[in-house]
Amino acid sequence: MSSTSQKHKEFVAEPMGEKLVNALAGIGEVLGKRLEEKGFDKAYVVLGQFLVLKKDEELFRDWLKDTCGANVKQQGDCYGCLREWCDSFL
Amino acid sequence: MPVFVEDPAQFSKPRLKSELIAHNVTLPAVESKKQVYVELYLKHIVQKSAADFSSDEEDDDVVEVQDSQDFEEEKDPEMLDPSVLTDEELKTTLLKYGVEAGPIVATTRSIYERKLQRLLKPAQPRQNGGTGDADQYSDSEGDEESVSQQGSPETVSLMEENLHVDIRMVPQSWNNKNTEYRYHQCFMPLSRMQVSPQSVSLRGGCDVDSSLSSKSFSITQMVEEFESRIPLSSSGPEIKRGNNRSNNQGPRPRPYWQEVATVDKYTMTNRSLFVTPKTSLFKRQIKEPVTDVLMEMFPETEPTPTGIAATRRRPIKGAAGRPVQFKYPDLPASPMTLQRWAVEHRLVPLWVQILVFFIVACLLYLIYAAMEDSLANPFVTLLDNLSMETETEGLSLQAEP
Repeated sequence: MSSTSQKHKEFVAEPMGEKLVNALAGIGEVLGKRLEEKGFDKAYVVLGQFLVLKKDEELFRDWLKDTCGANVKQQGDCYGCLREWCDSFL
Repeated sequence: MPVFVEDPAQFSKPRLKSELIAHNVTLPAVESKKQVYVELYLKHIVQKSAADFSSDEEDDDVVEVQDSQDFEEEKDPEMLDPSVLTDEELKTTLLKYGVEAGPIVATTRSIYERKLQRLLKPAQPRQNGGTGDADQYSDSEGDEESVSQQGSPETVSLMEENLHVDIRMVPQSWNNKNTEYRYHQCFMPLSRMQVSPQSVSLRGGCDVDSSLSSKSFSITQMVEEFESRIPLSSSGPEIKRGNNRSNNQGPRPRPYWQEVATVDKYTMTNRSLFVTPKTSLFKRQIKEPVTDVLMEMFPETEPTPTGIAATRRRPIKGAAGRPVQFKYPDLPASPMTLQRWAVEHRLVPLWVQILVFFIVACLLYLIYAAMEDSLANPFVTLLDNLSMETETEGLSLQAEP
């Protein structure tokens, strides 16, 4: 539990609503901008992609790397954040 | 007829290419069919030992084998290049490799294509490399001849491939997922059967049997445990059970099976409709010898009448107004929660504020009243009036009688 970041805890604590992509753990300004350019402007759109990939870790990581060039740590953070959010709210 | 005639039509395309290069023949266009390579080979290389009849026969052989070779060639590009496949084909191909793909949409397609490429990679070099040796261990569907001759080595190799897939999946997955993948390999033969019936039956049998046997073993194990408990419980000298026991001897075997079924499925549904009259009986049976699998898994839970216990589901955080309790007790404040806290914070001493306000108001009024001299007059006049009235009344009373 202590390995999760502040951003992760904040995101997982409540329904994401209309939060931006930057609110996702592992997604900072640069990655957020790249995602927005590809059309993933809100966190729920990334969630949609995550769900379409059936919450599979490997596929989602690949997709993240492909879409915004996230490194391994960022991929892991984002995946963990979304997975936990789904566990609580989905 | 010479024994060691080399039939160029049986060579693979890269082999023909290399042969042409070795004999310094210019290669045709890269995407040209194998037939072109064969012709070139025949033209430049075989002409050294050309006898008319042999060349004719080779031509015939080329024509005959061409269809099957073309068939094989058609398959090869599909296997090499996932982007040629339609969504459905991509999905079925992935399923063959044990990957249950989700919907293949615009955004997911490239991911799945890449995954398929990664899966194809270890298979490809083996296919294209040699002829005889490669055929033994290749996974291609077009090699029908090799399959019929070498059934067992292929099953071994296929198992190895599946293990390879498994090994890759295992580090990332939980135990449940592992069984899922094994499940898919059980189902894979069913799909493959439609494509290549020869190669599948052996493998399918192996996988299905092993999984089924493992499942059946667990069921029998549980049944043995329950049955071993029957004699133990029946010998128990409890008074309450004395009356019930005779009634329950008959239908006893049935609930056990049902209990086994429910426990085995881990559905956690309370199928106590059949079991309720015998709740006391089961309670004691479960308490005495704790060999129940569930009890081993969850030793802290209290035994229930049906032997099934369900842990309370963690409530959905933040939904329906439920507070966030479990995961992060030391929550940092998000803007929404901060506002909520601020409002609540003010409500508590509100009545104190109102009380203090009134006290201060009264004090001020008294001070004002004390300070101002002009106000003293109304009080004095009032008092005088009152006293005058009483005096007049008193006088009038005195006057009358």
